Amino acid sequence: MQGFDLATPTTVDEAVALLAREGSLAIAGGTDLLPNIKHELFEPRTVVALGGIEELRGIELESDGTLSIGATTTLAHVAAHDEVRCRATALAQAASLVAGPQLRTMGTLGGNVLLDTRCQWYNQSYFWRQSLGFCLKKDGSVCHVIESGSKCVAAASNDTAAPLLTLDAELEFASNTGRRRLPIAELYKSDGVANLRKEPGELLVRVRIPALETGRERLGAYGKLRERGSIDFPLLGVAVRLDVVDDRIVHAALGAIALQARPLALQKAAAALIDAPASGPGFDDAVLACAAAAARQLHPVANVPGDAQWRKEMAPVYVRETVRAARAGTGPVHGR
Amino acid sequence: MGARDQHGVDAPWVDPARSSTNGADGFAVVGRRNRKIDGLSKATGAAVYADDIALPGMLHAKFVRSTKAHARIVSIDTSAALALPGVHAVITGKDLPINYGVIPWTPDEHALALEKVRFIGDEVAAVAAIDEETANRAIKLVKVEYEDLPAFLDPEEALANPTPQIHATPKKPERGNVSKHVLLEFGDVDGAFEGAAAVVAGEYSFHGTTHAAIEPHCAVAQCSPDGNLTLWSSTQITHYVHRALAHVLELPPARIRVIQPCIGGAFGGKSDPFGFEFCAAKLAQITGRPVKMLLTREEVFYLHRGRHPMQLAYRTAADADGKLRGVDAKILIDGGAYSSFGLVTTYYSGQLLGGPVHLPTYRFDSTRVFTNKPPCGPKRGHGSVQPRFAFEIQLDELAHELDLDPIELRRRNFQGEHVETVNGQRITSNGFLACLDEVERASGWKERRGKLPHGRGLGVAGSMYISGTNYPIYPNDMPQAGIQLKVDRSGLVTAFTGGNDIGQGSSSVVRDLVAEELGMDPADVRVVASDTDLCPVDLGAYSSRVTFMVGNATIDAARALRRRIVDAIAAEWEIDARRIFMGGGTVFDLEDRDRLVTTREAFQIAEARLDTLGSTGSYNTPTLGGDYRGGTIGASPAYSFTAHAVEVSVDEETGRLTVENCWIAHDCGRALNPMLVAGQMEGSAYMGLAEALFEVHDVNRFGLHSGPSLLDYRMATTVDTPELHALIVESLDPEGPYGAKEAGEGPLHPALPALSNAVFDAVGVRLRHLPFTPGNVLRELRAARATSQRERASC
Amino acid sequence: MASSIVELKVNGDTVEVAAPDHFTLLEVLRYRLGLTGSKQGCDKGDCGACTVLVDGEPVLACLTLARLAVGHEVTTIEGLMPAHLRAGGTGADPVQEAFDRCGALQCGFCQPGMMLSARALLDREPNPSRAAIKGALSGNLCRCTGYTQIIEAVETAIAASTERAPDGGSR
Repeated sequence: MQGFDLATPTTVDEAVALLAREGSLAIAGGTDLLPNIKHELFEPRTVVALGGIEELRGIELESDGTLSIGATTTLAHVAAHDEVRCRATALAQAASLVAGPQLRTMGTLGGNVLLDTRCQWYNQSYFWRQSLGFCLKKDGSVCHVIESGSKCVAAASNDTAAPLLTLDAELEFASNTGRRRLPIAELYKSDGVANLRKEPGELLVRVRIPALETGRERLGAYGKLRERGSIDFPLLGVAVRLDVVDDRIVHAALGAIALQARPLALQKAAAALIDAPASGPGFDDAVLACAAAAARQLHPVANVPGDAQWRKEMAPVYVRETVRAARAGTGPVHGR
Repeated sequence: MGARDQHGVDAPWVDPARSSTNGADGFAVVGRRNRKIDGLSKATGAAVYADDIALPGMLHAKFVRSTKAHARIVSIDTSAALALPGVHAVITGKDLPINYGVIPWTPDEHALALEKVRFIGDEVAAVAAIDEETANRAIKLVKVEYEDLPAFLDPEEALANPTPQIHATPKKPERGNVSKHVLLEFGDVDGAFEGAAAVVAGEYSFHGTTHAAIEPHCAVAQCSPDGNLTLWSSTQITHYVHRALAHVLELPPARIRVIQPCIGGAFGGKSDPFGFEFCAAKLAQITGRPVKMLLTREEVFYLHRGRHPMQLAYRTAADADGKLRGVDAKILIDGGAYSSFGLVTTYYSGQLLGGPVHLPTYRFDSTRVFTNKPPCGPKRGHGSVQPRFAFEIQLDELAHELDLDPIELRRRNFQGEHVETVNGQRITSNGFLACLDEVERASGWKERRGKLPHGRGLGVAGSMYISGTNYPIYPNDMPQAGIQLKVDRSGLVTAFTGGNDIGQGSSSVVRDLVAEELGMDPADVRVVASDTDLCPVDLGAYSSRVTFMVGNATIDAARALRRRIVDAIAAEWEIDARRIFMGGGTVFDLEDRDRLVTTREAFQIAEARLDTLGSTGSYNTPTLGGDYRGGTIGASPAYSFTAHAVEVSVDEETGRLTVENCWIAHDCGRALNPMLVAGQMEGSAYMGLAEALFEVHDVNRFGLHSGPSLLDYRMATTVDTPELHALIVESLDPEGPYGAKEAGEGPLHPALPALSNAVFDAVGVRLRHLPFTPGNVLRELRAARATSQRERASC
Repeated sequence: MASSIVELKVNGDTVEVAAPDHFTLLEVLRYRLGLTGSKQGCDKGDCGACTVLVDGEPVLACLTLARLAVGHEVTTIEGLMPAHLRAGGTGADPVQEAFDRCGALQCGFCQPGMMLSARALLDREPNPSRAAIKGALSGNLCRCTGYTQIIEAVETAIAASTERAPDGGSR
């Protein structure tokens, strides 16, 4: 691994001062950062460790019912936390399926939200990429996924982004110029080279999930397509949120990842569920309409290492099954 | 040398009063779940593997690798790398110009590329530096200028285009890119097909897979001031590495010592002499410092030597009662960039099909071609897993066509014991019928097959495999396996064996056989293995030969030692030697059991009466094989037999196959240690199923490995692995050590075709093309549905 | 690039070691401290062979910067048996003992990581289901065993612990 200096701040202010310097990168779990440094995809001069900063830790239920999760909370902790499982079921399920057990013990929610996009032509060693002649995302000028493509289509591969989109999560960033809050829907953009609307010096402090309006039942589930039952990144991820009042779906949201650079909100698919009955034949019909709408919107390309055609065909299946799982209070959908 | 003496299948000591602690079968040690000799040292982290070795002043070396799939090397400029502080040496092909190959007839490799590179990842130069980071910086400073050549990534393309040749054959340019061609016919195959009641014909494909042992390859070399070279390497063939080092480095072999430390898995992937071994040695010579060369995981994928992709066309003819009449096979083998074991692979692709069902006539026509990809070689079940896949599906197709139970079809065609195959191989013991019985019973076959709900099915397949062969790779008349025993006055016996323990437990087997023969506590036997300075030659851990051959050599040596001790004690007690019994760590008089000494005392008595105590033993195969070119390849002193039943669930909407159960019945002869045998059986079945379902070793359109990592090369995890049920069948072999045969490779073969056959039972669709990834399966299911709809429409 | 003296707590001992900032815990354990029981199989977090326990949780040493382990308790495979002996046990840790007894150690290369994942599971949950065992070990690749004897070994270790528990002899 190429060398760097390690800084270990204990406050957000110290951290953002360090991160403001050119060539600085933050490390929390390190599960993505270090492989990327080993692959010479990232070449930081300074790595700023976040583990010593109290403010970034822990899960709290705020007085207004907002669930506030510190950015360096581990995925294992998120997956196992009772309040997360209850109030953000799909998030807990998604966190429980990231990579394998050790990586969930190490990896953090913030790291997953800000995960670099992934591509079979990118997440490789320097030697491999040199033999290829590099690519659009790093050191090169050609896209190998879409020939003659001018826009990088490396895939958002962060499982937790999909449920957080459906839950209208809000992100708190700190920088050396102050703090700001950003709805997660505004964080991502369709550029695989850098899919975050975030300045390099900005530090994710907390992720907040707003409370549910009273009288609503919030249901959720996550579906993850991958070939193995562990370790692998998603070939497709689908999160579902259903808000139910009196057996009627009053609000629905779907999020999908691992298709293109940006985690997608599937609004047309969600619209097929809104105002539908939450059980019986009416629900069944709405689920199928939702899956069909999702299939029209989801077009996997050969970015991540997996069978693109299969991923495309699995999209409506996973949407359908994940909606059903949300309603049934089961899930995650995995291994189908 | 006594090498071919038959030691028999019985326990060595017979106690007529049965008062000893030996089991009912007369064995005291063998047949029990004895712990491994190195189990606790591995469990506690004490075991030393190659990369655990650190020597004072040790340098670290790294390769410069080809970024081109096929190119001429115009120039190599190492000056900038050499100028980097901390760099001690840079070598290129010119420094190691002598060609080699594990098979002496095809020496087409160089430690570092000379003139040409043949795949992306081919080794071009090596740098030794004070640490890995400096070496990694230095390799980027080596400038290599290439002149591109057309690259062949597809075997059919390489076959169709004789130029450019990946390996030039100036005397025979017509060879083009053919690495090896074998056409052998036994009996009148065309005649057998005429008049057959049923003929099935089909094309099958087997994709590339690799060993992916968890330990990356590593070697450490050290040169003594007087020029003696020691190499520690993660190899499964210490002896061949020893020979190859002497050849390439032009050193007398007596100046070279090769040691295999603990090895982190091999599976055939560590059975060639490799560039990293030559380069570590050369760099140690040049620099006067110890040199370590540890490959990265990515580099292990370039080293490869994994399973050859094959395209297989098979036809099988049978009578109406299911009796086979003949088999006709045509196989195209994708060899990758070098020969490796490819000559043998090409023979094995046909030669190992002669059982367990009888083939009255048989022809195979196999062609291995070079391509500009990482070189293929021997992976567990070398050369025969692919044809077995095709053939065992053919048998299922035949059973279906003739409306026969697939197990019954196999029973009707069982070749029997002590027979000769159509290609001239001598079969001795054969427990295949018992294997079929076991999987039939355990899987609930009769009650369940064909009767499970749609989407769930059972499939069966069988196979045979060698317990070593009489082909010693380089022609010689010396023993294939040798062993030496040394007796200490403390009561300790040390066994010196060239046998490579690669985790399969061969050193534990040696320990147990010595203990059995000398009636000792196994804890009082030490084993020193795979060190060429200390141990007699064994050819290595490949071809499933070690238990059989080293086991026989061990019994040979132990019996020689035992005779001396027995004679000495008999003389001491002035009784007939036949009255002496060794057991339970004691030696006593069977007719006066109070006359008893400990083994240690017995050793001292014998040493006093005779001499310093020790013995040697060896094994060599009898003359075997058909009297034709290639007839000895695949000719084994004993064959193992296997049957699997696989239970699968097919998700027809997602294409995902879930293996619910795999019953593995394996005839290993006598199970010397049932725990180790079961471990081999389970590990084999796992590996076969995992390569069928998940693993793909291939290159992309640029000739670059499509995913040289343990993330993208998807090996099954705990949650992806089915319940594996090991059912040991023991048909005692007259020539095996106490009747033992191999267990480490045979039980892989049936897993893949049994899975395909189970899918047919589940959904009525034949899967003939590996891998069975869900996307591929889904397309096959769709295509089959479309075909059947078209057929219905046309009726 | 900066180097510093790192004070680590490994297997109960406090040790000081000089290492550059970018050195991983695996590099420090193996190449600075000579604790070579932790294995390197991929160096990128894909195989689990380098699993060690940090504050009792299984983590990958190849993706942990050594300096970030400061202030935490690191347990490697070399630490299990001495800890078991210190706690009044005999022989190796019950997990190590069971792996040996069940034949789970073929080449043995993945097993230090595997056994530490198993140890962490049993410390957290003394009597896990078979599915929980498989889940907890699903980040540790083994190429030899097909996992069968590994899972048997964990179940054997559980049985050994629960058998001994009544007379107060649990680990």
